[in-house]
Amino acid sequence: MSTQATTAATAAAGVRSKARKKKRISGSSITIMVFLTMCAAFVSVPLYVVIVTSFKTMDQIALGDVFALPTTWTIEPWITAWSEVCAGMTCEGVSHGFWTSMKILFPSLILSIGVSSVTGYALALWKIRWAGTFLFVLFLCAFVPFQIIMIPLVVLNSSIGLFGSIWAVAIVHSILAMPLLTLIFRNFYKDVPEEIVNAAIMDCGSFWRIFIEIILPMSANIMIVVLILMITTVWNDYLIGLTFGGVGTQPMTVILANTVITSFGAVKYNVDMAAALLTAIPPLVVYFALGKFFVQGITAGAIKG
Amino acid sequence: MPQVEFSNIVKRFGRVTVLEDLSLTVQDGEFLVLLGPSGCGKTTLLNMLAGLQDVTEGTITIGGRDVTDLDPKDRGLAMVFQSYALYPTKTVRGNLKFGLSAQKLDRAEIERRVTWAAGLLQIDQLLDRKPAQLSGGQRQRVAIGRALVKNVDVFLFDEPLSNLDAKLRTEMRLEIKRLHQELEKTIVFVTHDQVEAMTMAHRIAVMNGGVIQQIDTPDEIYERPANLFVARFIGSPAMNTLAARIETSGQAIAAIHGPSGVRMDLSDYAFRTPPKHGDTVVVGLRPEHFIVGETAEPTGAVFTLPVRYTEKTGSDVTMFLDNGEKDLISVRFDHKHHHVPITGEAPPVWFPKDRFDVFDAASERRI
Amino acid sequence: MAIRWSWASPRLALVPAVSVTLVAFFGAILWTIWVSFTRSRRFPEYAIDFEDLTRQYDRLFGDNAWATSLENVVILALGSGLAIVFGFILAAMIEREKRGEGFFRTLFLYPLAVSFIVTGLVWRWLFNPDLGIENFLHQLGWESADFNWLGDRRTAMYGVILASIWHGLGFYMALMLAGLKSINTEIWSAARLDGVSFWRLYAEIIIPMLKFTFLTCAILLSLGVVKTYDIVLAMTGGGPGTSTWTPAYFVVNSFQSRGNIGFASAAAVMMLVMTLVIFLPLVLITAWQARRREARVQ
Repeated sequence: MSTQATTAATAAAGVRSKARKKKRISGSSITIMVFLTMCAAFVSVPLYVVIVTSFKTMDQIALGDVFALPTTWTIEPWITAWSEVCAGMTCEGVSHGFWTSMKILFPSLILSIGVSSVTGYALALWKIRWAGTFLFVLFLCAFVPFQIIMIPLVVLNSSIGLFGSIWAVAIVHSILAMPLLTLIFRNFYKDVPEEIVNAAIMDCGSFWRIFIEIILPMSANIMIVVLILMITTVWNDYLIGLTFGGVGTQPMTVILANTVITSFGAVKYNVDMAAALLTAIPPLVVYFALGKFFVQGITAGAIKG
Repeated sequence: MPQVEFSNIVKRFGRVTVLEDLSLTVQDGEFLVLLGPSGCGKTTLLNMLAGLQDVTEGTITIGGRDVTDLDPKDRGLAMVFQSYALYPTKTVRGNLKFGLSAQKLDRAEIERRVTWAAGLLQIDQLLDRKPAQLSGGQRQRVAIGRALVKNVDVFLFDEPLSNLDAKLRTEMRLEIKRLHQELEKTIVFVTHDQVEAMTMAHRIAVMNGGVIQQIDTPDEIYERPANLFVARFIGSPAMNTLAARIETSGQAIAAIHGPSGVRMDLSDYAFRTPPKHGDTVVVGLRPEHFIVGETAEPTGAVFTLPVRYTEKTGSDVTMFLDNGEKDLISVRFDHKHHHVPITGEAPPVWFPKDRFDVFDAASERRI
Repeated sequence: MAIRWSWASPRLALVPAVSVTLVAFFGAILWTIWVSFTRSRRFPEYAIDFEDLTRQYDRLFGDNAWATSLENVVILALGSGLAIVFGFILAAMIEREKRGEGFFRTLFLYPLAVSFIVTGLVWRWLFNPDLGIENFLHQLGWESADFNWLGDRRTAMYGVILASIWHGLGFYMALMLAGLKSINTEIWSAARLDGVSFWRLYAEIIIPMLKFTFLTCAILLSLGVVKTYDIVLAMTGGGPGTSTWTPAYFVVNSFQSRGNIGFASAAAVMMLVMTLVIFLPLVLITAWQARRREARVQ
């Protein structure tokens, strides 16, 4: 009897939910889906155009019709872009810039994450009376436009002989990233239960051992977030690389801009687009591989305090 | 040897004074419980002993050594926390070992101690697990184990049982008591649970508002509370307190409760300072000391008041009598032997002559 | 007395961060402000020019390119503001529809991983009058279609705005989505039980609840606009003429092309002032929210 009633109820619920689902599809859902698809097209069309252009021959490009697929697929533009295209006077392709960017990236990551994580840890978990004030100052620094400290940093870098080297670029990146990363780390570490820190203080008491043995192993999530944030920031930067990098130590974005903007003679759009894609690929790979963390990363970068 | 001594401790947070001139001695090998409502300063006191909070004024010594300004790790203490505070990324073994890191020990000694503590607490099987894989009771054992391996003389417990369910709590209570009997270490145990305090402690320090109200054995605190706060805080249901006026005639001394007119015969009460005729006092009557029905014992008072309502809790019944004031009089008795009155009835209830507690109305101290 | 390492270590660990803050931020800002009152040209001079203290600022405000830059900042802020509006609409739709949430979120966000330089170059290609979208429209038969925005001083800025929206849309959508998800699900249920219409629900309940998210977005957008540099460089190189200059572009140009440190510093100080003006409400809101949170805890 009661089983029957339950079955009937379930069936009724099933019918009802089915009916509602149907209604939803026929109702506002279609409008929403159409709108979302249109926006999706707006967002994805540029990528599509760039990809197809980079595989076309210049002959086909000259015909117009940017949206057409390549009639004959060629990877020639990619090879040219990677190793032959001229940026200003030198003609070594964007590959040189790629390796420079890599050389800038690693010291930047180590320096900025090293300093910021320790600073965030000290501010969040150790009793320092001026921690609040310092955090507020960092909060202000995180928003300072780069241009206002750019010129003195150039003067400072020249005076210690670093100017024009990979290290100059990496150090400036680390300086600029320090306030924001510290705030991110501090906000993460302040949620570590106080009792765990107290237990560690009673057990061992050493600032560095507690950091390395207890706190760092708990930081995997935030490390990934910060890593992604830093990789995209450093890789996509143009101005710092342009200003602080010397000839031969300029990152990929600068080489790319020089290639495309200051090219002489006949413009090879397919090569330009291949070079642009080559520059965009590393952060895109990071993004599509770790998209979930990326969202976390940029939101953490945006909302803080 | 490791006697813990707080002398004239003052603790301020900014302008707020939490502890004012507090002195307390914990004997060697003693199980002392700091008991009090939340915010009474008991955890602050424990944290200052541990070195996790600074002392504003005063000194703390352990075994005669001044530790007031020492780092927590150098004080020769171990602490068990309320939330267990296990290191989430380390295994149980790693948790136990990290506690030894401040002491420079060789590997064999560390192994020996870990094995010993694990055996004592029956966590040998869990040594390679992470805290997330343990139940609440197991985590508690590991937390205690982490304190034990340090082989110190003073152990601190900060409400360690409050996150456990009722059954496990009883079990761990016995466990901690057993460990104390076996190891004979000094223990300072903070709790707000009077059952824990009454069952485990050698001595209880009842705290309120940053002041130690009474420090004594559990029996003494129950039988002879030093003031109204202790009287009301210890015991469940709480002690009934009736404001009354003293009447003396010759040797006889009695207290009259105004609203109900009940006369309480205090002739057998051992006054420290006998009150004068007309003084106002507060008389305390524990609910469990009432006698329902006929009795041969010498009674000090009889209440014939209407029953407002009754609550059954398994073997016992608590009934609440209307005495004409806001607070009802609670009376607890065994319902197997007596008929349970219904609301509105007014059965006679007796109170034994030698069970009163009397407090001064103004100072709230026991007289 | 021996050093208490538990006291000293955390303070030692803060030395790098504190020195960076003092030297690279405070020191550098003061340096720039100081130099903006000197006659510095290609090399910095440190003697303050008391004869004509505000010479650099006078020149700055007499400069047409600077006026254009200021104008462009406002246009860019208003135009890119659409990214917030569309970001919210997208977030609301994704949140409501649920189907394909992961797909759309990933898709809308990818431009953020692309640098401004690449973004600028890509859009420059799309705006190419001979071979880009305009040509495509002409071939479709719409002969009068004019998509050569970047070639015209009047429309070049709109091209930059379009590319900025493309780049930032997903970011604001993600922030809005986070805001929407933080709204108690019971509100949706309650609204449905009460029979509140879709539009009223959003207009009267959801959007007011998200006012802090909107404000955060607006402030972040404004700060981003003040700093806009790379995308202008890649799309138009500031042109045609100086029609797409921004303050950030102006500073870098004064420093690198004109080689005038004093002049560039004065412009940089004005950028700082703009940032402070935008930043002040953010500080106040953060403080206010913190106090409210504390009040709730007590």
